[in-house]
Parts: sequence; structure tokens; C-alpha cells
Amino acid sequence: MRKIYRFALAFTLIGASLSLQSCEDYFDLHENPNLVSNPPLNAMLSTTTHKTGLNSQRIAATTAFYVQYLASPVAGNATDTYQEVDLTGTWDAIYLAMADIQDMKQKGMEEGATDYVGVANIMMAYHLNLIVDHWGDAPYTQAFDNTTLTPRFDSSQDLYAEALRLLDEGIAELNKTDSRIPLRAADDLIHGGNKTQWIRTANAFKARMLNKVSKLPSYDPTAVLTAVDNSYQSNADDAEMEVFEVRNPWAQVAISNTQLVLGGWLSEQFVDHLNGTTYGVFDPRLPRITEPTDPKFSIAPYIGTPNGVGNVGTRSNTDRDEVYISITSPLTGETSPITIASYAEMKFIEAEAAFRAGNRERAYAAYLAGITAHMNKLGVPEGERNAYLSNPAVAVGAANLTLDLIFKEKYVVTYLNAEAWTDARRYDYQYADFDLPANAELTTFIRRVAYPQGESSKNPNTPNTPALSEPLWWDQ
Amino acid sequence: MKNTFTLILLMLFVLGATGAWAQQRQVSGRVTASDTGQGMPGVSVAVKGTTTGVATDSEGSYQIQVPDNSAVLVFRFLGYQTREITVGSQSTINVTLNTDAQQLGEVMVTALGITRETKALGYAAQSVQSEELTQHRQPNVLNALQGKVAGATISSTGGAPGQGTNIQIRGINSIDVGRNNQPLFVIDGVLMDNSTSTVGAGAELRGMSNRLADINPDDIESINVLRGGAATALYGLRGANGVVVITTKRGEQGSLRVNFTSTAGIEEVNKFPDMQSTYSQGTRGVYDATNFFPSWGPRVEQARQLDPTHPERLYNHFEDAYEMGHQFRNSLSFSGGTEAITFLSSISHLTHEGVLPFTDFSNTSARLNAEVKISDKFRTGANFNYVNSGGARYNADRFNESLSYWSPRWDVTDYRKPDGTMNSYGNNNPIYGAATNRLEDDVNRFIGGLSFGYTPTSWLDLTYRIGLDTYNDDRTRTAPGPLGVAGERVYEDNGQGFVGEYTTKFRAINSTFLASANRSFGEDFNATLRLGHELYDRRVKSFGVFGNELTVHDWFFLPNARLLTSTQDLREYRLMGLFAEASVDYRDFLFLTLTGRNDITSTLRKPNNSFFYPSASLSYVFSEHMELPSFINQTKLRLSYAQIGKDAEEYATSSGFASYTGLPTGNTGFTRAALLGNVDLRPEFTDTYEAGLEMSFLNNRLGFDFTYYYSLSKDQIINIAVASTTGYVRAAVNSGEMRNKGVEIVLNAVPVQTQDFTWDSKLIFSANRNKILSIREGLEEITYASQFGYVGSTVTMKLIPGQPYGNIYGSHWQRYYGGAEEDPLFIDKDRPIVIGENGFPVRAPLTSQKILGNSMPDWIGGFTNTFSYKGLSLTSLFDAQWGHEKYNQMGNFFSAFGIADYTEDREDFRVFEGVLADGTPNTKQVWLGQGVGPDGVDYGDGFYRRFHRGVSENFVEDASWIRLRSLTLSYSLPSRLFENIFIRNSSVALTGNNLWLWTRYSGFDPENSSTPSGSNVTGFAGFTYPAVRSYLITLNIGF
Repeated sequence: MRKIYRFALAFTLIGASLSLQSCEDYFDLHENPNLVSNPPLNAMLSTTTHKTGLNSQRIAATTAFYVQYLASPVAGNATDTYQEVDLTGTWDAIYLAMADIQDMKQKGMEEGATDYVGVANIMMAYHLNLIVDHWGDAPYTQAFDNTTLTPRFDSSQDLYAEALRLLDEGIAELNKTDSRIPLRAADDLIHGGNKTQWIRTANAFKARMLNKVSKLPSYDPTAVLTAVDNSYQSNADDAEMEVFEVRNPWAQVAISNTQLVLGGWLSEQFVDHLNGTTYGVFDPRLPRITEPTDPKFSIAPYIGTPNGVGNVGTRSNTDRDEVYISITSPLTGETSPITIASYAEMKFIEAEAAFRAGNRERAYAAYLAGITAHMNKLGVPEGERNAYLSNPAVAVGAANLTLDLIFKEKYVVTYLNAEAWTDARRYDYQYADFDLPANAELTTFIRRVAYPQGESSKNPNTPNTPALSEPLWWDQ
Repeated sequence: MKNTFTLILLMLFVLGATGAWAQQRQVSGRVTASDTGQGMPGVSVAVKGTTTGVATDSEGSYQIQVPDNSAVLVFRFLGYQTREITVGSQSTINVTLNTDAQQLGEVMVTALGITRETKALGYAAQSVQSEELTQHRQPNVLNALQGKVAGATISSTGGAPGQGTNIQIRGINSIDVGRNNQPLFVIDGVLMDNSTSTVGAGAELRGMSNRLADINPDDIESINVLRGGAATALYGLRGANGVVVITTKRGEQGSLRVNFTSTAGIEEVNKFPDMQSTYSQGTRGVYDATNFFPSWGPRVEQARQLDPTHPERLYNHFEDAYEMGHQFRNSLSFSGGTEAITFLSSISHLTHEGVLPFTDFSNTSARLNAEVKISDKFRTGANFNYVNSGGARYNADRFNESLSYWSPRWDVTDYRKPDGTMNSYGNNNPIYGAATNRLEDDVNRFIGGLSFGYTPTSWLDLTYRIGLDTYNDDRTRTAPGPLGVAGERVYEDNGQGFVGEYTTKFRAINSTFLASANRSFGEDFNATLRLGHELYDRRVKSFGVFGNELTVHDWFFLPNARLLTSTQDLREYRLMGLFAEASVDYRDFLFLTLTGRNDITSTLRKPNNSFFYPSASLSYVFSEHMELPSFINQTKLRLSYAQIGKDAEEYATSSGFASYTGLPTGNTGFTRAALLGNVDLRPEFTDTYEAGLEMSFLNNRLGFDFTYYYSLSKDQIINIAVASTTGYVRAAVNSGEMRNKGVEIVLNAVPVQTQDFTWDSKLIFSANRNKILSIREGLEEITYASQFGYVGSTVTMKLIPGQPYGNIYGSHWQRYYGGAEEDPLFIDKDRPIVIGENGFPVRAPLTSQKILGNSMPDWIGGFTNTFSYKGLSLTSLFDAQWGHEKYNQMGNFFSAFGIADYTEDREDFRVFEGVLADGTPNTKQVWLGQGVGPDGVDYGDGFYRRFHRGVSENFVEDASWIRLRSLTLSYSLPSRLFENIFIRNSSVALTGNNLWLWTRYSGFDPENSSTPSGSNVTGFAGFTYPAVRSYLITLNIGF
């Protein structure tokens, strides 16, 4: 009996002792064991450089239809025909990347890691441009700073000025030599820790931005040329990102297409631009961009799909009777890098700015250098390259160079790059034979994208989107 | 029931005042049950007004001392009508007890296993007994409760073996769609996890089990559903959504009893949508046997002229793709004991193969319940349950989506080529997908509890219980890569092949200490004070590795994968409660109970982590107080108020950096965590008011129980979705108010009761009305869910202040208002639809999203009738959920792909009813088909693809249903057959479940939804696993 008493007492005590544990630490489970509070800078660099590369592709995955690099296999596809599509995923990816960049910058400043601050500034400027070039006004001054859950929208002019300021500040930070923590090469997925290349990228972004306002009175071609001079010196400097969880996202589009998740169909506009139909000269880059159609159908080797029309011809979607993004291309292979900005593109900015400044010689030299650089990047053999460069349709001479020719050639260089749409709008889509997609929602070319549902539903400050044919401020 | 009796007896000893023992003499007799005619063991036989009481033995016999001839014996047994018999001069009193539809006057297991007389309860409570639970032979206990408990909305998420079932008590309580609104489950005092885990690639759509599916229904003695705040007050915040108290069977004193139950059944899909059977594969009426579009081609006759291999009639691919399912369950139990030790052990095995090919579920369960009476003062008990469960789950959503793309020109059941690759004309074959793209779960679970009781004196009782619920949930996700043979078609979802291994380790310990003291004050007052302490400690760790792109295409081995990605998560939670309950009763007709509980939680920070909340309830049994007309039996009024606190989810008070998962192995990175934590989070509180009236008439042949409740939750803790411009995905805030109010009615009747024949009837009805009073300052709405629909017909579920939870918003036809103001939220269906100049109806701009329906039923009801004639019994259960809508995503696809039966009008001309933009009636005739019509006009993709499929209004359908949930015919063989053999009893039963369904809904059974059980999003039917109609035969033998 006494044993039983003790037995019961023991259990009563267990209950009591558990209650005594209530003190302090037993209930102190606030820190989330699945998170860290203070990650090292290099682990933030890998995230932000990776996201920057992916976001450049993510934007292009939509706008490639607007510039008619791609066309949907489905008739009346919403993106293809200028319908309002909800780009919440893209918008969110950009802003969540900016939050990470902001955190890296903050931490870089706290730790005196000027290199990281500089790189953060450059990537932040890049993302701000993605926002300004596609949506216009957007949150920044109150964004990702924990003070409000409904950030105010800043004017796109202000964001543009801020991006330029960030670039200058970034260059200044990178020029400092006393960064407490150097960029870790393995975690810099864009330039492998090469500060010189980052400074060149900052100048490349600056050149883009200064050139972007070509329609505005403030346009200053000399400033553009200065930025170009300080940007890339060769293809080796290109801002590229080639670390993927599985594979290059364009390659994924190509592979999915072969597995019937249709996508990555090259537009008739782009194919005709290259295959001689529009310009009478076959561009040797075409076979390095895509693979020819299935010869058993005995049709033309390069056939594109008209935008808005969908799959043409009587053959089924699955027959290779048109051309697609290809994994054999050095631009869209499984391990190919995503090009964020390139030397070849800079050459065309130089050509345009020099042309607008009246310096035709410089413009023409840059025009040829741009084509050459891009062909080299694509691995076009020297013979084919030179044949193209000497074709009368291309080798027009400095005196006969036109903005049309510059835009025509730059259009190839910016294939699947987000910057292409900026150019198309500045150029008012005046590419040869460039037509509205079939059954377009708009009567004129598209000029902006709609604010995403994800923002407008959660942030009452989100403005209503005007008609998508309304130009953004720099496009007016 | 037997344990309840033990508890009554204990209560009587513990609570009772000592009575005088004088002039005693002995009375004996036997108690038999009116429904079976057999002796009833464990019946409480008590002398009214005293503490004297005994229980009948295993044969139903009893002996009791009575003081004098005026003594009244009270015979009580749960589920039977209590009888009172004046002893008079009799020395043998044989009694037959009638089954009781109305359980007034009985006892009930309430919070923390405390047994109380029902009449003392100041709140609604309803219990469901073992026979009612097992008569439909539902493998999942929650399904067995359907239609039986007022206030509980219980819905299967689909008909897959082991598929989860959702339960909500008195509606949704939180505006945070991510919060758990499922009640707390307690089995024999152990807090039991009933979550539905969606760990594992794509498990959300694979009909995973709610963890209650682990429990063998044959083990259960009773289930009590505690609904309101006063009922659940002692459980504290974890009981804020109601509590389901499960009591398993106990052994009883006497010789060894063996019980064997075996069930076998078959099942089939109970409802298919209507489909067109005229048009073959192709687009714009042009036949193409490899075209993606399954049904926009020409008529079958035309196709047959072009293609001699075209079948004479289209296949019925949906019906062909589903099979007949079957299930077997065998349960064996042993029970018995001595005066000191009683035990019950059981083993059970279920195998269940579903109607969707390659889906199955099995469950093996073993249980041991033991109770030991060490001395008059000490007792101890143990409950151990081991379960192994799991099966092959398939994504029914994907299956039906692929079936929608599949052309009925081709036989879908011919899914595999001789070389093992997918056989298809082009599109993915859904059956091949089910065969190869797999997820299997394997759960090993142990639920155990130990209890100790000590009664040092007659007025004090101490109990302590410690419980453990722990399981490992292992999941394997596989798909083979391409075989690499010529002409191979790769099943899209299988990609390059993959293998994923996921493990969740769950462990929860709960400890409860309870001290009860009872005292009488004078003649009239009796008081009980309880003090208690409860601790709950939970740890859930999960991790997984996903290996993508297999080298050997069908070797599901992680090192065989080219790319590995890993996930890991750990959540720990601790909660402690200190509570007290004081109850006073006055002359056995007025009962007042006050409770208070203070919780300390690990999910809030000091000082907000410790908070107190009270409750009060009053029961006034006026039939005991005043003289009522004789046809009125017991009558009781209940009033209660309760406040319940609620804490946050784990780690809602902290922010940080999470691993960035976008990088390949070899690179690591960090990114801002999705949640913006809030160190200042405060507990949220819900105030509940409840009033009820119970009455029974005509000797308890007729009775009702009416309840009204009103609850208001304020300052809710929500993880609100925030704009990404904040740098976060969600933020933890205190915000929002929500109100629920409703009525619950239980009606009981015994319309016929003769010696041999009884007709028992029970009706339950409940209706809940919800309103969102506020969300968050600055926000007009919170979108919490959406489901895809073609070209602008995507629907969303949003919280808008002033509107109820569950509203479905979407696009709608433009209506003509002629200058009158248009309501921004509601469609005015009386107004004419605007017809465009092209002759087709016009969709309103997509910026206008209106309320198209609400997914929460206006009312739910259940109607049970039992007819017993001697050993034969027929039970039917009608069950209804009424007045709610669901978005029929499959219907949207059926429009887009020309599958729906109504698209048979595609070769017709029509003048759409409506008006032009200027208000004049439309007169333009248009053709509904694709391409160039007979009138020479090119109609492009035709009415359905261009217009109809893009308007959500067309696909949010009335999902009300009423069904014959089950019909059971059972026969107990007369006991005289077994007099000289070892068998004691035997019965056989035939059951049909879901035999009849009435609904206006055009898809599969509208009870189901595409979200997993436990989700608060119930408005989307998606492409669900169809519900089944099952036929079962059950044999029961007792030895």
C-alpha cells in the first residue's frame, strides 16, 4: 500500500514539476529553427546574382512575344494578342529579389564590405529598370523596409533617376579598394568576383538607360558614348548567369516543347528577318539559334509561326514543321548562360548614339563590330561571318548607314533579351514587315504591361493600368 | 458503455453523500434489451435517492440491497431509456430496457474525460455510439459521423481509398485561410493529431489521409462532439474549433469474449457528368486523329467516312477509365477480465482498392486497453494503439484533366505498348500516368496513454494521465524516365524520371493532472471543484530529398538521379494550461458551472504569451423544479457564455533568412523568409454565447434539443498575404473580426414501439451564418484562393467586410442597366444580358468580379430511421448540405473542349436573348459552331471557346445535395441457436452507401473538393477524385 502511495505521489510530482518548468526557457521557442538571422554576405551574393539572371529571362519570356521573337502555337493566345495578362509571378520575383539585394546592401554597409554594396547597387538599378520599362510607376522608397504593408508608388521618373544614382554610387563603391570582405568568386554568379567587369556592367546599364530616353529632349548621345566607352571591351565581359538548378530556362522551354508542353515557337517575323525573306540575305546566325524543320515534310528549312494565328498548316502541333528555341544553340542550350547585357549590344548602343550625334564613321564601325561580336559569340565560322558582313545589304558603308539598319541588326543581338522590347518601343516597332498580331486586342502596338493582380489586390496604392497602348513616360 | 458505468459508479462513490443503511433486503433480477432480447451487462441499477448501486453482470443479472418497499430502482444504460421501478413487495424484478433516441437523463463524457450527467450540462453536446458509427462500415471515422451531429459540416474531399475528410464545427472561425479550423481530437484522453500532411512533391492533389483515418472504427465505443466555447473551455485554446472526444471500448469483468467482424465490399463511381457523344476529334469540324482537341471535329459518321478505323461510336472514356473498387476489413477483438483487471485487445486489417486505377490504401491496427484496480483507492489504466497505414495515391485532378483532353475516338484503357511505353495517339494517357507517376505513403503510428487514479477520501479524487501520439510518415514519389525506344511518347509529368523520399516525424506528448473535490452543503447544495494542469508538447520534423532525372530510367534510387534537392522543416510547440472548474447544483434542477483557464504558449512572446479566459454555464431542469403536464418529461434550459483565447502558429513572432532553393547542389544562398514576423502579436479571443432548450414528451417517445449560438472573434492572429513590394509574402498581424451565429436542432422520435417492432427516428439540422466584420485597415479585400479557368474565367475566393466567408468571385456576363446603378458585388439576374454587335453575349470587363456563390452550406441536415423487428433491423440515413455553390473547373474544361452534353448544339443557329448596348432587343442570328458556318460567316473557335468558357458565371454551380448516405439491413441471429455451442452471438449486415444522390450540380459528386482535407478552401470542385457508391456485407460473430 505504501508503495502505491509513493507511486501516485511520483506521478503527481511529474505533473507539478512540468508546471514548474513553465519558467522562462521552456516556452521560449520563438526563434524559427528553419531560418538564420545573419547569413554571410557571400550567401546573399549567390542568391541575388542568381535571381538577377533569372529575372532577366522571366521578363523576356513575356516580352519575346511582343517583339515577335516568339509566337504562341495556340491561336489568340493572350500574351501574343496583347490581352491583359497577369504578371504577378514576374513582379513578385523582381520585388523579392530587390528585397534580397537591399538586405545584402544593408549588411554590406554594416560590415564595411564596399564591394558588396557596389554590386547590390548595380543589381538594384537593373531591377528598377525592369520595373520602369514594363509597368512604370512602382514602389521603391517605401518598399521592402518593414515600415508599411502597403508601400506608396513612386513616379517612374524618380525611379529612373534613382537607378542612375545607384549605378554611379555602385561604381564609386567598387572603385574603393578597402572592402572588408572581397567578392567571393564562386558566389558571384555573374562576374565571378571580377570587380572590373562589374564596373563595366554598371556602365553598360548606364549606357542603356541614357540611350533609352532617345525620344526625350534630355537625350544626350555624348553621355551615352562615354558610358559605352567605360563598358564592355569584349564578349568576355558580358554579364551572364549560367548556374541553374536544373537547366537554362529557355532550354527547359525547348525540352518541354518536345514533350508536348508547347512553347518556344519562333515567330514568323523573327525567322523571316533572318532567313532572307525580309532582307534577301540569309543570316548565318539562324542555324545557331534554331534547328531546321523536319526534312521529311520537304518544306522550307526555316518556318516561323505568325503571332496570334497559332499553329499553321494542316500538320499537327507535334510535327516539326516550324522552328523553335533549340537546345543546340549556344544561347539556349541546357548549360548556356542567360545574357543580361552584352558587348555586342553595347556596340549597337554606340552605333545608335554615334549616329544620332552625327558621327557616322563611329556608328558604322560599331555596327560592324556589334555584328561581328555577336557572330563570334554564336560560334559562326569566320567564312560565313565575313560573307554576311560583306553582303551589300549589310555592308552599306558609313554614308548609307541608317537607324533602320542599326535597329535591324540589334534586333538579332537582343534575341530573347528583356532589352529588346525597350528598343522596339523606342523604334515604334518600325522593323520591316512588323505587323500587329492577328486578332490583336489593341489597334496599335503594345507599350506597357498591366499592374499584376497580386499587387493591386493587396496594395490599395496600386494605380489602375491605362490602356496597354499608352506609352510609358520615356516612350512618349 | 461499460467504462461509462464504471465511471458512474466511481462518481457515485466519490460524489455521493453517505446514506443510511437500514432495514435492508435483497432484490435480484435480470435486465434485457428490447432490441436484442438478450441480457444486458453493465447496466447501472441504483436505489433512487441513495448512493446504493450495482452493475449487472455479463448475463444481465443483478442483486441489490434495498431499504424498504417504497424504494425505487433506477436502471440506466447509455443509449437506452432509463426505467424506474418501485420495488413494492417484489424480490425479483426483471426489466426490459428500450433503446433511447433521446438521451436526456444520461451521462456524457465531457472535457478531459469528466463524466457528467447530461442534465447538468449548460451547453449543447451530442454523442454518437458505437453501433451508429459502425453501421455504414466507413473506413474513416469522420465519414461515419456524417449526418449525425448537428453543427458539424463533414465532407469527404473525394472517393479515393484513405482520402481525407474535412470537418468544421460551427463554421470557419478565422479569416486566415492558413489557420486550422478543424476541431481538436482526443482519444481516451490523449490529444490526437488529425492533420492532413501534403509533404511530398505534389501531394496536395493526391487525396492524402487526415490522420484520424488511422483509427479502426470498430474500436470506438462512443464519440462526443463538444461544439461551443463552454463545452470546450477546459481544453483551452486547442479546443477553440470544437473538440471531438473519442472513447474506445473497454474490457468488462467476466469470461473471455472474442468478437470477429469481417466486411467485404465493392464500389463504383456514383455520378458521372453528362457528355456529348456526337462529335469526334479535330478542330473547326475538321477530322484529325492526332489533333490535340478531343471533340471539336466532325460528327462521328463523317469521321468514319474519312477514317475507316474510326470506331462506330465514341468511347465513353470517363466511365471506361474508372474501375470497380473493393475493400475488405477484418477485425478481431478479445476482452475480459477479473475484478482487478479488465482488458480489451483488438487487431484489424483493411485493404481498399479505389475506382481510379492503381490507387489503394491499407490499414493495420492493433490495440490494447487495460484497466487495473489496485485497491479501493488506486486505479490505473493503459491504452495502446499501433497503426500502420498508407497506400498508393494518385493525382485525381491530373487524371480527370488528362481525361478531358483525351479524345473519346480512342480507347483510353489501351494505355501501354508492349515495350512498356505509353500508348497514345498524341495526348497524355491518364491511366498510364496513374500507373507510373506514383506517390506511396507509409505511416507507422503509436498512440498510447497511461492513467492513474487515486481517491484518498470519499470527497477527493486525483487523476493523472500522460499520452503520447507519435508517427513516422514516409513518402516515396516516383516516376520512370523515358525508356529511349524509338517512337516513344513520354508521359509529360514523368519528365526525365524522378524519385523523391520524404519523412515526417511527429511526436506529441500531453500530460493532464486533475483534482476533483466534491462537497454537499446542507440539503440543497452540492458543489464540485476541479483544479487541473495540462501540458502539450509537440515536435514535427520533416525532411525530404527529391532526385530528378534518372540515369537508369526505372531504378528509384536517389544516387541514380542526376539532380538532388532537399527540404527540411522543424516545428516545435509547447502549451501549458492551468484551469479550474467550479460547479454547484441546487436541488438537482439548477446547475451552475464556472471555469477559468490560463494558457502559456510558446508561439507568443512575453508578456502576451500568458492569458486567461473564463466561461460560465447554467442548466435549469425545470421538469425537476415544477410540476409539468404529464406528457412532458424532462425539460431543460441552457445558457452559457465562454471566452476562448487563441495563440499564433509556430514562429509567427520571428523573421529571418531562409535557404534559397533555386540553386543547384554545390551552391548555397539565403533569401528573406516569406513571413514577416511580429514580436508584438497578442492572443486573439472569441466570445461565445449559447442558449438551448431540451424537451421530451410522451414517455420520452418524442424529444427535441434546440440550440442557438453567437460567437465573435476579435483581433484575429493572421498571416496575411502582403504585396511582394514589402519584400515579404506574408505578414503576421492582429487584425480582423469575424462573427458566426447559428441554430442546431436535434429531433428524436419513436413513432412505433411494440414488443417486437420499433421505429426510431432522429433528425438533425443546423445552420450557420458567418460574417466578416473587418479585415485589415487600408484593405478592401483579401484574396485567399483562386482556381484557374480559361480566358478570364478564373475564380477567386475573397474576404470582403460585410460579406460571409466562402464567397466565390469571378467574371460574369454584362447586363443592361440602362443608366441605373449597377451593384458592384451582386449580379442582377433579372436584367437582360448585353449582346454585342457580333450577336454574341458580352462579358463584363474582367475588372468587375462579382459574387457568384458561397461555398458554405446554408444548412445541413441528417435524418436517420431505424426499424427493428426482433433481430432484424433496417437503418437509413439521409444527409443533406444545402444552399452552397462550387466552381466547377472540370465544367470549364468541358466547355473549352466541347465535351459537355450541351455543346451538342454547336451546329445550331441561335438568337441570343438580350439587348444591344443601346437597350434594343437583340435580333441577330449567329451560329454556335467553329469555323465558317452555313451562313458563310467565319465564327473562328466558335461560341463555346470564344465566349462561354471565359465567363466564370457559367461554371459556379449550385452544389446543394441530398443523398441516401446509407442503408443498412442487419440481422442478429436469435441467441437460442447458439445455446449449446461456443458462439454467443452472430449477425450479418448488408450496407449500401451513397445509394442515391440528388443534386443540380453537373460534375462529379459535389460533396468533394480539390483541396486537401483540413483546407479552409471548399469552393473549388476542380477535377476531384469522384465519390463512390459502395455495397458491403458484414459478418459479426461473438464467442
